[in-house]
Amino acid sequence: MLLDIRNLSVEFRTPRGRVKALRDISFPIRRNRIIGIVGESGSGKSTVLWAIMGLLAGNAEVTGGEILFEDRDMLRFDEAGLRAARGEEISIVFQDPMTSQIPVLTYARQMFDILYRRPKLSADDKRRMAVEMMKKVGIPDPEHRIAQYPHHFSGGMRQRAGIGMALLTGPKLLLGDEPTTALDVTMEAQIIHLLQELQGEFDATIAVVSHNLGLIAELCDDVVVLYAGEVVETGDVHSIFHDPQHPYTRALLECDPARIRERSDKLPVIPGDIPDLVRLRPGCIYAPRCQRAMPVCKTTPPPRAATEVGDATCHLLAGPHRDADWPPPADVPTVRTGLGEPAAAVKSIAPEPVLAVDDLNVRFRTVGVLRARLRGIDDPFVDGVLDVSLSVRPGETVGLVGESGSGKTTLGRAVLNLLTSHRGTIAFEGREIRNMPEGRFKPFRRDMAMMFQDPVGSLSPRKSVRALIVEPFQIHGITGIDLDDEAERLADMVHLPRPLLSRYPHELSGGQARRVGVARALALHPKLIIADEPTAGLDVSVQGEILNLMADLQAEHGLGYLIITHNLPVVRHIADRLAIMYLGRIVEQGDAEAIFRHPAHPYTQALVDGVPQPDPDRRRAHVSISGEVPSLLQRPAGCDFAARCPYVQALCRQEKPAHSTMRDGRIHACHFPLA
Amino acid sequence: MLLYLTKRLGLSVVVICAVVLVLFSLLHLIPGDPATIALGPRATPEAITRYAAKMHLDEPIWRQFLIYIGNVVIGDLGVDVFSDRLVTRIIGERIGFTLTLVAAGMGWAMLLGIPLGCLAAVQPNTWLDRITGVLSVGTIAVPSFLVSIWALLIFAVQLRWLPAIGAGEPGDLADQAVHLILPAFAIGLSWVGYLARMVRASMLEVMGETYIRAARAFGLAPRRVIFGYALRVAILPTITLIGMGFGGLISSTVFAEIIFARPGIGKLIFDSVMARNFPVVQGAVLVATALYIAIVLLSDLLIARLDPRVRESL
Amino acid sequence: MSANRSEQDIGILAVDATGLPDHLTEREVRESAARERREKLRLFVTNWQGLTGLVLVALFFASALLAPWLAPYDPNALDIPARLSVPTLDHIVGTDQLGRDTFSRILYGGRVALQVAAIGVSVSLAIGLILGMIAGFGPRWLDNALLLLFDTVRAFPTIVLALATVALTGPSLELVLAIIIITSIPQYARVTRTATLSLAHTDFILAERSLGASTGRMLFHHVMPNVVGPLLILAAMDVPVVVTVEAGLSFLGLGVLPPNASWGTILNEGYLVIRDAPQMVVAGGIPLILTTLGFTFLGEALRDIFDPRMSKER
Repeated sequence: MLLDIRNLSVEFRTPRGRVKALRDISFPIRRNRIIGIVGESGSGKSTVLWAIMGLLAGNAEVTGGEILFEDRDMLRFDEAGLRAARGEEISIVFQDPMTSQIPVLTYARQMFDILYRRPKLSADDKRRMAVEMMKKVGIPDPEHRIAQYPHHFSGGMRQRAGIGMALLTGPKLLLGDEPTTALDVTMEAQIIHLLQELQGEFDATIAVVSHNLGLIAELCDDVVVLYAGEVVETGDVHSIFHDPQHPYTRALLECDPARIRERSDKLPVIPGDIPDLVRLRPGCIYAPRCQRAMPVCKTTPPPRAATEVGDATCHLLAGPHRDADWPPPADVPTVRTGLGEPAAAVKSIAPEPVLAVDDLNVRFRTVGVLRARLRGIDDPFVDGVLDVSLSVRPGETVGLVGESGSGKTTLGRAVLNLLTSHRGTIAFEGREIRNMPEGRFKPFRRDMAMMFQDPVGSLSPRKSVRALIVEPFQIHGITGIDLDDEAERLADMVHLPRPLLSRYPHELSGGQARRVGVARALALHPKLIIADEPTAGLDVSVQGEILNLMADLQAEHGLGYLIITHNLPVVRHIADRLAIMYLGRIVEQGDAEAIFRHPAHPYTQALVDGVPQPDPDRRRAHVSISGEVPSLLQRPAGCDFAARCPYVQALCRQEKPAHSTMRDGRIHACHFPLA
Repeated sequence: MLLYLTKRLGLSVVVICAVVLVLFSLLHLIPGDPATIALGPRATPEAITRYAAKMHLDEPIWRQFLIYIGNVVIGDLGVDVFSDRLVTRIIGERIGFTLTLVAAGMGWAMLLGIPLGCLAAVQPNTWLDRITGVLSVGTIAVPSFLVSIWALLIFAVQLRWLPAIGAGEPGDLADQAVHLILPAFAIGLSWVGYLARMVRASMLEVMGETYIRAARAFGLAPRRVIFGYALRVAILPTITLIGMGFGGLISSTVFAEIIFARPGIGKLIFDSVMARNFPVVQGAVLVATALYIAIVLLSDLLIARLDPRVRESL
Repeated sequence: MSANRSEQDIGILAVDATGLPDHLTEREVRESAARERREKLRLFVTNWQGLTGLVLVALFFASALLAPWLAPYDPNALDIPARLSVPTLDHIVGTDQLGRDTFSRILYGGRVALQVAAIGVSVSLAIGLILGMIAGFGPRWLDNALLLLFDTVRAFPTIVLALATVALTGPSLELVLAIIIITSIPQYARVTRTATLSLAHTDFILAERSLGASTGRMLFHHVMPNVVGPLLILAAMDVPVVVTVEAGLSFLGLGVLPPNASWGTILNEGYLVIRDAPQMVVAGGIPLILTTLGFTFLGEALRDIFDPRMSKER
């Protein structure tokens, strides 16, 4: 055992009171193994990492326990002792490479600083070590790039550099705080592979904190499940994923859309919210949300039940209330599906599209008019959206899928006339609306609404929720209605508790703010809703709420949805048709299920294969895709994807593939489709 | 970096041209005969005619402006109305005093203020932090010309520790240094507080950034984290503030020179205004403004040197 | 047992629970809101800086507005035999070189300061707000043109501009006010512009556009409320500057003219007799310092209370 956490308790002093973020946490981190710490928001999983490093926030207080690192209690280390351990023996990879690297120093300088405790090394030695490490983590041309600044590196590159910096001193334990959350799917796959390689090479012990079950299943040997500050279950990865004991673990797995093999319109949800960690109720912490809660669960803390490979704390597993029928076989669901009634078996989709986009082009200017002329640049533009055609019919959900830089957000904004487009048509219910002047377009805004990615950030901070919800009525000058009634009606429609109407955006949780966004979008009975990343920032166990709500509303009002997302497991269930975008073009389009089962375009296949599956038996042997998305400024001649395509041939590099239609109605842009 | 330098330089030149335009137009925007306005009601008719001829006031306005710009470029700022001496000469004799005062004033403020702000940020909510906070706000609030007057009263008039008037014997560095103490103290005092607060606020903000946490997570020594990482980033807005604040510093210097009777540019402008010696006023104001613009340019370039993101943003 | 403290107190992001859990009842929501209001009030009341500032500012307003009733003498009434007297029961702060009661002159000087502060700050804030919103929201070329304009105005140190203008027009209070307004506009415009620019690209402005909100609605309902906060704090910090500039210019004889009273003229007259009657510069300086301190404390307290919230809300 390398690190043993025993009965660790951490509290935070806040204006609301003392938040008991971690209570009596115990689990071991075994040598040369990778352990995953799974939890959703509020679980305290990141707090564990900071407690190990001794870098908790100023208002945190460790109120009990030990952290034994090779038999020394780290909590009793003085500052010098902690500093000696940091970087040398224990290192950490941060979640967001954009904010965790100082922007004004070169990587060379930062890495030199990390090696400051090696006085015997000369400057040349240090540089050599640094370049070696950059090479190991897969950064091309490390000799030159090491002298660059972080903003010269792309996101994926920055994360690789971050991993390199963490491993530079050869630490015994590497901690990872959601190391792939900020990355695209294809980059995530590469980083997972990199971590596996490096673990083998350095014989390191790794502890990864994540809410992404796929990442955990793919990477880890052991798993610890945290809920609201307590360890509810531990075990090795196979038993946790195939035979979970604790109701929460079981429910969490059932809610993960990637585990739901059959496409279903309604996703399972764990109802409720994490409990108030300031005023804790007696009994089991999960009882308020547990589907199998018994009266004893609300009064008495549950006992620990040891299994062969770990343990779980639940009344159903040990003690007088033990239930021999728990856990039920794997195919029996323990969580309810959705909020309202189950969705209609067949969706009613009208034939005439409400939105029809044809050959749309959106260009961005790269340099100003003057500078372009000075430098002799003929065409100072890049194509953010290139020759895109798609349609959405009433009652239908179309998923617009792509990674960062694919142009999907640009397309969404162009459709809503928030950007000027340069060629093509955008037809709403048959009427051409592309670049329509705002005055004439305004009535259309009642029929097309947008839900934004950042739920709190898309609400004007100084307006109350009520004012925000009724604002659409005011903007469009609708009179003769009682605004307060409308606000309440809409709040009820989206299951937003009425007292929240008088609150302000910064006081809402992410889920609540998202519902305000839905209410605003629905206010004027639109026919089309464009939703930008509707599940971003939401825990897996609750994202179903918003999606099921949207499905219900669609069935009730015949809405058409255009969902912009990079979350493939989710979009598989909620979308009828998909459009996959790469570098501004649609590379494949058609029936969602068909695309998932038999992708035609190699990029689609890479995306589908790139998602880590929450099943340790389905680990990928090799990475499905390498490299990065090329820059829009240097659009390759020939197929955009040629440089990264595993099936590339000579023709691909020379000629851009045109869109062709397959027998089953799917459209793709590939010279040598896979299906 | 070179490209950024050129761009900033170009911008500064444009601003100076605009300043020249303003100074030039002042005379002509005010209703009445420019020569009479410039020389005041007590000027003799001969003086007025002489001035009009010198300023080419019979030519069309745009011509006058071009002549003026042309003169400025070659360094001819006109002549003193009374003594006929070159304005550039007069300014040249006195600019040294202003520059030393400005440097001394800002210099001691930086030497005291920046470390104080740093210390306060590194140990927030200690007694040091609180005292620094109170003193900072206090010194910011007190107007500098009042500090000049009271410093003069206390140290020169009442206690007689330091001289009240003048800049000291020419050639005697020690004497000049002594004469520098009170005025430099007066103009620098509010800057100590200002800088301490700015550095403290900036440092606290930077220390909360993830990359500082990352630096500590890599086990870097605290001194390196504070100075090499946090201060390195936190100093940037402070440099901007210092650069832009020089305008206020120059204003304070004008007062200090008048109160302590130092023969610098400030006093020159004031005396010339009182004497209705407009060419000197125009020339000296131009020089003072150009000095300020040059300092802002320098501070921008310094920031570009320290922050790679700035020098690549064109 | 507590975690190691020293390094951790360096402002690392603190954790708190944001958002209200769904299951809170209506009563709990209302209680939470009431608790926040009480917290804000408590912060203000226990902040000694803010309280002192409030008291001083109230004193300033009261004495200035009630001067005609509070002043024991007519501020311009001469009493030569009693000139330059030290504080007595008759003249609680003494008399000036013409025998006028200094205390009454101080009160009336406060009226001048109040006028200048009220008009100067409100006019420049209003104009700066509008120009800043235009610069931030409007077309690029307009933004660049306005920036150039602001840069040019800011290139002139205030006193220097005042001197240059007075050289031509002669001193007057109206002129001082005009110069104060012109030189203050850029700072309000700059703050507004920065805030508007950063808001213009936020999601919520985009959301408003997608709902069909007009530019006017966006500016007045959504941008302005978010900008007014920092502007008011800036205004509170600007009043001391404005009052000081007026006093300074009057001190130089460029603003308020004799026989009228201004804190600056009192200081001027006191400076001239500083060796014989030092009490005048002390008397004239104290109201100035108290006023600047008061507004500065108030501004600081407001910033402490509202700024950290605002950055958290963002």
